[in-house]
Amino acid sequence: MGSVVRSAVKAIKEKGFGSFLRELRDEGYLTALLDGNLMQTKIHNIGATLVGVDKFGNKYYEKLGDTQYGRHRWVEYAAKDRYNASQVPPEWHGWLHFITDHTGDELLLLKPTRYGLEHKENLSGEGDQYIYHSKGHSLNPGQRDWTRYQPWQPTKA
Amino acid sequence: MLGRLAAQRFREIRQVFRQIPQAPRVFSTALNYHLDTPDNNPDLPWGFTEANKAKVKEILSHYPSNYKQSGVIPLLDLAQQQHGGWLTVSAMNEVARIIEVAPIRVYEVATFYSMFNRTKVGKYHLLVCGTTPCMLRGSRDIEDALLKHLGVKRNEVTKDGLFSVGEMECMGCCVNAPMITVADYSNGSEGYAYNYYEDVTPKRVVEIVEALRRGEKPPRGTQNPKRINSGPEGGNTTLLGEPKAPPCRDLDAC
Amino acid sequence: MTVLQACEIAGVDIPRFCYHSRLSIAGNCRMCLVEVEKSPKPVASCAMPALPGMKIKTDTPLAKKAREGVMEFLLMNHPLDCPICDQGGECDLQDQSMAFGSDRGRFTETKRSVVDKNLGPLVKTVMTRCIQCTRCVRFATEIAGVQDLGMLGRGSGEEIGTYVERLMTSELSGNVIDICPVGALTSKPFAFKARNWELKGTESIDVTDAVGSNIRIDSRGPEVMRILPRLNEDINEEWISDKTRFFYDGLKRQRLNDPMIRGPDGRFKAVSWRDALAVVAEVIHQVKPSEIVGVAGKLSDAESMMALKDFLNKMGSNNVWCEGNGPSPNADIRSGYIMNTSISGLEKADVFLLVGTQPRVEAAMVNARIRKTVRAAQAKVGYVGPATDLNYDHEHLGTGPQTLKEIADGRHPFSSTLINAKNPCIIVGAGVFERNDKDAIFSVVETIAESAKAVRPDWNGLNVLLLNAAQAAALDLGLVPESGNSIESSKFIYLMGADDVNLEKIPEDAFVVYQGHHGDRGVYRANIILPSSAFSEKEGTYVNTEGCAQTTVPAVPTVGDARDDWKIIRALSEVAGACLPYDSLTAIRSRMRTVAPNLLNTDERQPAIFSYSLKPESRQEMSTVPFGTAVENFYMTDSITRASKVMAQCSASLSKK
Repeated sequence: MGSVVRSAVKAIKEKGFGSFLRELRDEGYLTALLDGNLMQTKIHNIGATLVGVDKFGNKYYEKLGDTQYGRHRWVEYAAKDRYNASQVPPEWHGWLHFITDHTGDELLLLKPTRYGLEHKENLSGEGDQYIYHSKGHSLNPGQRDWTRYQPWQPTKA
Repeated sequence: MLGRLAAQRFREIRQVFRQIPQAPRVFSTALNYHLDTPDNNPDLPWGFTEANKAKVKEILSHYPSNYKQSGVIPLLDLAQQQHGGWLTVSAMNEVARIIEVAPIRVYEVATFYSMFNRTKVGKYHLLVCGTTPCMLRGSRDIEDALLKHLGVKRNEVTKDGLFSVGEMECMGCCVNAPMITVADYSNGSEGYAYNYYEDVTPKRVVEIVEALRRGEKPPRGTQNPKRINSGPEGGNTTLLGEPKAPPCRDLDAC
Repeated sequence: MTVLQACEIAGVDIPRFCYHSRLSIAGNCRMCLVEVEKSPKPVASCAMPALPGMKIKTDTPLAKKAREGVMEFLLMNHPLDCPICDQGGECDLQDQSMAFGSDRGRFTETKRSVVDKNLGPLVKTVMTRCIQCTRCVRFATEIAGVQDLGMLGRGSGEEIGTYVERLMTSELSGNVIDICPVGALTSKPFAFKARNWELKGTESIDVTDAVGSNIRIDSRGPEVMRILPRLNEDINEEWISDKTRFFYDGLKRQRLNDPMIRGPDGRFKAVSWRDALAVVAEVIHQVKPSEIVGVAGKLSDAESMMALKDFLNKMGSNNVWCEGNGPSPNADIRSGYIMNTSISGLEKADVFLLVGTQPRVEAAMVNARIRKTVRAAQAKVGYVGPATDLNYDHEHLGTGPQTLKEIADGRHPFSSTLINAKNPCIIVGAGVFERNDKDAIFSVVETIAESAKAVRPDWNGLNVLLLNAAQAAALDLGLVPESGNSIESSKFIYLMGADDVNLEKIPEDAFVVYQGHHGDRGVYRANIILPSSAFSEKEGTYVNTEGCAQTTVPAVPTVGDARDDWKIIRALSEVAGACLPYDSLTAIRSRMRTVAPNLLNTDERQPAIFSYSLKPESRQEMSTVPFGTAVENFYMTDSITRASKVMAQCSASLSKK
């Protein structure tokens, strides 16, 4: 704990108090006061090795030794407000889930250039455009006037 | 230090994934479906020549009249010889008509056997054996030499239409490995020849190709002057003396 | 009998992909491996004949390991796209991998991919999913009779295909969807519409032809999502025709949902049932009883035809008939209009004579039976009629009644074939009903039957192949018009779903009531439209061409204000002051029992008792006009199929000119 305080004081000395506060906010320490999950990650991070950072800014940590085996790899998401597991790109997925010991930076070199797609997070639940409403559902804008049959139109006669 | 470690690690990973991206080897010379081209479409008329019609009759006489479809392979072979080494759709349709089956049954056979070519081949179709004994004795080098000399890819025909190179599975000449086969379609089905050239070297295959280009017929069989057929190089090494008589007990001695 | 069949009889289920009980045995999937005592290796049970004293072990570790090995090889190149596969949930591979699949594979190479084939507007192909069981190849060759599909290539490059670009032009092609054990062949109209576990199955009867194939209507909520065959060995085995399988989208289009009256300006206006019925009742009282005519459509059920006949009889008219039965149908002798041999009985025949009928388009399932017989027993087929494409070997004897005369007189070479036959089978098409010389043709056919000894106590080989689902029931109920040309002199015409009557013959001043479910040909001449429910929405009795009564069950609710046919007539009779004495389905069925008791014996074939010999002698002159084609377009025969988009696509791309 002492080292944490020391490094904090050092950072204030170097950058000034304003920029230190901004960094605190950007790094999510203020959010962590309310978000226990993030706070726990932050506490976990102390003394852990930063194995890599992916292109979205998610940080991957590993701590061997005193951590329970199976909990020794974790990710701190770049997004501090809303984060979920689908933000982990595939190259890091294997490392994070103990499928492989190769880190995402190594596996990224094997990504096929011709057809490898950019990773996109799963946006389900993030607004209407990402939700599937079945036809006839009152929230389905395109299908609101769906009918189950098409009546014969006498005007054609 | 770190960079070197990372590079080494990367090589290891590459090693693991190396095996993956190789496409499966294709032996047959064409796709499993037909695409219409000006020289290969069902509307082109095709028929056996008069001389070959007699051969067709002879082939069909080998089979009972209600099992004409048994003649599909010899007939396809004859059609291939007549048509310069490859089968068009209309040729297959003609064979189907002769043996009275639906055309698809003939397509099934023609796509199954890799010796039926469904795309154009050269007048001399060079087949390099790629099976293990030949491969160990350097068939890859021979194929490379051929392809380099002719300036084509595998299953591609040279611009003058004379040569094409394909790969074959074991042709039973392992004792004379490596070997190539030259299927000669330059004279139709009458002058058709299917010759083995054994004990070839990258230099020798190029000589063979050049000889064929000149219209010569290089001697077939082993190309190693020190060997006779599949005998050992430089004459026999064992069993040189007079064969001994079978051992027999000296009956008088006992 | 093979080991697999023996095990099936013993009640042991053996997993399989390529084996299908109605197709030849291929033995190429190896999923059915079992252990046989004293055999050094596991044995493919589908191809191994069962021998006496054989000890078969289906449940041993060896058998399980062998199947697991096979399954691993099958899954090696099978894509992992079950979540987007239409077969998901009813996939043999999926089911069996639950028992024999591993949770991981050892295959590290890339999976192969195969180019999809275009088989037309009905069958969707995802050939990468194919496991090369060759069921579709064998189905196409053996049952459908179109040798288009084949197995191309070898080894890992093996694929199912047509080699040359070709659509599958069979009227049974939809069945490859059912027999495909994986999602390689799926239904194109049903693609991505629903998952099969969401669907409610309703066991019903097909009405698009006179065969009455047993079907299962799969619905989700108020929509029919798809139609599948149901096993019935006597009628359709387990196949159905493409028309039966894919016409269901017609049930959602062009529907009549409100009663409508044509105003003085010639336009239709929606009205209430009360007003509509009042108008009809008023008009029907203004015309003379002899000027009232009723025509039942080809999709009518027996109940509504009974009600229509009773109602018009009460109004004093006896001019009721069902379309397709011709101007003077013969309803007296039942053997004169049904298939006496029965559909499954066709398999016992050894010589067929088809008179003016093209079973391939008129009744595809009957055609499949004939083809089966021709294949299995080398039955000979003679055909009299316009040149047509039957998918089995047949002899085209001639085009007109003249040829029949020659056969009857023994001048034709085919007549000796007929006479020498053990079980000759003569099939007369219902298209003959429309001819004026129909009685003469029938008497010639009867002469032929007599000389060939086609009608015996143990065999009745004189058949009529009907065209429409309503025809047999209409004749059973006695829907026979008093005069053949009553329509020309009529003032009030009640069209109960009848779209194929000659609308031009209806006089200008006649009042036409159209009661039906689709806005088809009939509505354009109608003065008043009464919407009714389609066969998928009502309970009704249908009699198929072999005289087997079957009932439909409502699968989905009806549309708009539509009502059951018989209820409309019952309500109309009350408004018109001639109330019919039944107000429930049970009551109307007990009324039917008094007229035709066989209609109540559902799912049971009722053979005709009296043969043609009771028929009065016909003095008609036979004309020389050749036989016509009864069904011009296989895919569009009635109001539902004409409304279907899929059927329109089919007739555009598949029908041969």
